[in-house]
Amino acid sequence: MPRLIALAALAASLAFSQEFKLGSKVTDFTVRDPHGSPVKFSALRGPVTVVVFTSTNCPVSNAYNERMNAVYRDYSVKGVKFIFVNANQNESADEVAAHAKSVGFVFPVYKDPNNALADRFDAQVTPETYVIDSSGTLVYHGQIDDSRNEKRVQQQALRMALDAVLAGKPLTVAETKAFGCSIKRVRRAT
Amino acid sequence: MLTFFLFFALHTVDESGFQKLVNSHKGKVVLYDFWATWCTGCREEMPKLIVLENRLKARGFELVTVSADDPEQDAEADKVLKQFHAPEPGYRKQAVKDERFINAIDPQWSGALPALFLYDRNGRKVQSFIGETDPRIIEAAVSKLL
Repeated sequence: MPRLIALAALAASLAFSQEFKLGSKVTDFTVRDPHGSPVKFSALRGPVTVVVFTSTNCPVSNAYNERMNAVYRDYSVKGVKFIFVNANQNESADEVAAHAKSVGFVFPVYKDPNNALADRFDAQVTPETYVIDSSGTLVYHGQIDDSRNEKRVQQQALRMALDAVLAGKPLTVAETKAFGCSIKRVRRAT
Repeated sequence: MLTFFLFFALHTVDESGFQKLVNSHKGKVVLYDFWATWCTGCREEMPKLIVLENRLKARGFELVTVSADDPEQDAEADKVLKQFHAPEPGYRKQAVKDERFINAIDPQWSGALPALFLYDRNGRKVQSFIGETDPRIIEAAVSKLL
């Protein structure tokens, strides 16, 4: 039992080894494209970049599929770049590609092997989003909007953040939370 | 505020009601299980927690379930709780804003499910388990408090 408690404490400490925090610079990172090739953030980023952690089988993430397509369409034309990432270790690259095709995503979904990127952002839930401005600073962290059920949405926080960043204005809401599925991480302590 | 929902076995609990719920369980070691009908990991975990409660109840351990579903899912949530013979009453969050509710439970909590919060006999939160957790780790933490 003492060993289990020690392992739990170790797992907890690993879970909170966050590197990219609100207001800090996001340095380069690597994800895998749908063909398995490594791609760097520096090659994908734009004047404003959105990182979105998604899942193939999380009902909350799937409830946002159309909303993800919509926000991608609406803001890509304004120069915003999007990096949709699947960090779940129980969802293979093939499953991610098949899911993207079946739900009609209009963007590629990258894989995050060993949830290394999720750890650097301390991403915990799907869907979860991050907005990085032109200086490379993380300026927004949180949800796409405040309800899985579209009829209950009161605040579209991601769109508000993007509108503010594109207009060069300060964000009124820089961080939000909502219920979602936990990201299925690789077990580092066994 | 704690209220009884008329048609199902679920009680509702809002941001302020959760602390009242914790206070009403002082004297027991309590594991609050935040779950949802859409959360596969939660539905896999709950039966194991119920087994743990049945085994440790005599020593002063209680499991309290709090559904993060919307009211429209009450019938489904009730069905899951009955299927697993979950301890009664089961609760469902009643929140004007989910974010406020999440922060009221634990400001460090992202809202990811499953989420377990362990309280000691003094009504003090001592540990949280976010995401699927090895039942042995949960049992070790509970046993330490009994």
